[in-house]
Amino acid sequence: MVAMERRRWALPTITLSIVLIAAACGSGGGTAAPPGGSGASAGTGASPAGEKVTFRLTTWAGEDEAKELQELVLDKINAEATDFEIVHEPAPADYYTKLQTTIAGGTGADFMWLSQEYVAGYASRGALLDLTAHLAAVDNPAAKLDGYFPDVIKPAKYQDKVYGLPWIAQPVILYYNPKLFDAAGIDPPDDTWDWAKFRETAVELTKDDQYGFTANGWPPIQQFIWQAGGEVITDDLSSSPIDSPEAMEAVEFYKSLVWNEECCPTEETITEQGFGEMFKAGKVAMFMGGAADTFDGLDVVGATVVPKGPENRANLSYVAVTAVNSATKNPELAAKALAALTDGIHHWKIVAPRPELATAEVILASIPEKWKAQKEGQVDAIVAATEEMRAFNVIPRHQEWDGLFWSEFQDPVFHDKSAPAEAAPTAREKLEGLLP
Amino acid sequence: MPQQLQWYASTLSHYVGAAVAIVALMWLTNRGLRRLGLRGDAAMGLALVVPWLLGFLIWNAGPIVASLYFSFTDYNVLQAPKVVGLANYEKLISGDPNFWPSVRLTMAYSALTVPIGLVGSVAAAIMLNQGVKGIGLWRTLYYLPAILPAFVTALLWRLMFLPTRGGLVNSATEPIWSLFSDKPPGWFLDRDMLLWGFVIMSFWGVFGANTVIVLAGLKNIPRDLYEAASVDGAGVLARVRHITLPQLSPTLFYLIVMGIIAAVQVFDQPLFIQLPPGSPTFLNVYLYQQGFTLFQMGYASAIAWFMFVIILVLTLAVFRSSTAWVYYESEAKR
Repeated sequence: MVAMERRRWALPTITLSIVLIAAACGSGGGTAAPPGGSGASAGTGASPAGEKVTFRLTTWAGEDEAKELQELVLDKINAEATDFEIVHEPAPADYYTKLQTTIAGGTGADFMWLSQEYVAGYASRGALLDLTAHLAAVDNPAAKLDGYFPDVIKPAKYQDKVYGLPWIAQPVILYYNPKLFDAAGIDPPDDTWDWAKFRETAVELTKDDQYGFTANGWPPIQQFIWQAGGEVITDDLSSSPIDSPEAMEAVEFYKSLVWNEECCPTEETITEQGFGEMFKAGKVAMFMGGAADTFDGLDVVGATVVPKGPENRANLSYVAVTAVNSATKNPELAAKALAALTDGIHHWKIVAPRPELATAEVILASIPEKWKAQKEGQVDAIVAATEEMRAFNVIPRHQEWDGLFWSEFQDPVFHDKSAPAEAAPTAREKLEGLLP
Repeated sequence: MPQQLQWYASTLSHYVGAAVAIVALMWLTNRGLRRLGLRGDAAMGLALVVPWLLGFLIWNAGPIVASLYFSFTDYNVLQAPKVVGLANYEKLISGDPNFWPSVRLTMAYSALTVPIGLVGSVAAAIMLNQGVKGIGLWRTLYYLPAILPAFVTALLWRLMFLPTRGGLVNSATEPIWSLFSDKPPGWFLDRDMLLWGFVIMSFWGVFGANTVIVLAGLKNIPRDLYEAASVDGAGVLARVRHITLPQLSPTLFYLIVMGIIAAVQVFDQPLFIQLPPGSPTFLNVYLYQQGFTLFQMGYASAIAWFMFVIILVLTLAVFRSSTAWVYYESEAKR
């Protein structure tokens, strides 16, 4: 009797256990996929008739940025789209670690933000979808690659295939504190300045606890090497000529600025008082920063283009891309949704990577109300800077290359452990070992 | 239902489902073992262990075995691993110029923090054991730093070790360093000083935690041993040497073993404190960088196994030496 009773319960219990374990370990593993998000592995499966396909987007956006993205971009796109919906999953902390592990675990989002240095690495390792053909079929201005600044679309490509769409191209401009210039009786910087004038003025403005400029590896030395006509990685990605005469000229100039008390705070002072904070505190007269930078505590901040080098006025463009997971299940629709998303972001972020949108009007409209007063006067400089901005030439092992470029070349040179001409050939050899 | 709420409900249902499944599994295990003829309490005990066992197999044993396999592969995390034999270990031994400096830094850190921390915590515990009033408060105060998150500790010490004259540590020690140099110590900016910065920082938490454990050990030493020694004319030093330290040796043994493991695996603080570019970093941070920044998870796994061997060898050495200096009452009675 008892045995029969046991047997009667055994089957339902086992069945229940299996179902529950399967449910617990099932899609999303209980963590990742939000509603409708089919899940992960990118993607969003097929859509039953009449239902929207859900695409998951992961970004490094913090709370405020994520709220803006949702309200200013995604809500509109989701309301207009009839066949897809984009769900945002921000991951502001340890973004790349999470991205890497979710992709490896098969639960990566369909769309992901990548800084320019990462696209080649992810693409070469098969994590990104080749969008070249899919984008060609999409009718959206953001999907037209010839509508982008030519130099800005480069980091979104790997081996001539397109793996994402740039959503921002933020040039470096020269900010200055007009009060410090007025107090010293010196005219503020403008587009006639060259390296010599810039350094000379920085020295003039340096006295007591005030400095003319600040550098600590930022602004990047690459920008100065480009301005002198040199390269750190050539366009064909085949060499790193950091020992060329042009590069040497730029390095010598940069070395005359970085941590040099004649014009700039020392490394120790920067560590103590903070790099950007010193400019905000009115202790530094000129600061090179991204076009969207804002400065708490300063009422008026002037801006102009960066000083001209021996050859040009190139400035680094901060480019970020939205790429598509290679495991997404609906590539055509993903390309369409990506273009809609990218176009939406182009009308939100400063500066859109498309010349037709990098205008004073669009930039003015994109400045948040809170910063209007400070940034309005900078718009002309931002637009002018876009004309000579350029992105990095990126290789799959770019993080490694970058680390080596600092540790084997910049660090010993800036700390007077090696002369530039001495360190460059050895460093070049090691750097070229990482090129594809 | 609002999207967010729907997501929470879905996630919650997964958790509830998992909990119910675990209970059902335990019940089934119990029934199964009983049928196999096991006694009631033995079957119940094993059934209760099942969730832990499953967790261990899935979350510990599985990754351990997987990392051993990855250490013999070229694995970039995003693509399937390719077996490369001993290549990662060869690279680690002779092909990576940054690996051995990391090993040296980590070993130097361990060699300094474990003994100094131990001596300091024993001294502090002996002082606290002298019938101090409000011992509970002192114990709490000493333990407090140990419960602070690592990044808070790192930020705090980074501020204290500012490399300028105005930095708290530099300003307090100016009479000393100014005898040798015009420039204050660079601490975390200076490759030659950063080890000392981390060593001093390590006492912040470990000192407190160890002091509380040693204090508990001291409280367990029978008072009559001290009384008998006093009657025999033993002085303070003799009592410490012949009673306190031997009685405390099992506690010290535990602290040394745990201290070595923690020191070799140090991770949080060096991750939050930016070191000078090009300077070696700690082994665990180096492993993390290789795996998650440079996409070399196969190589990172080899480093992890190298670390495991280091910890194993050091721990075995302490275990082997313990017969000479750890006092176990049960063995003494035999």
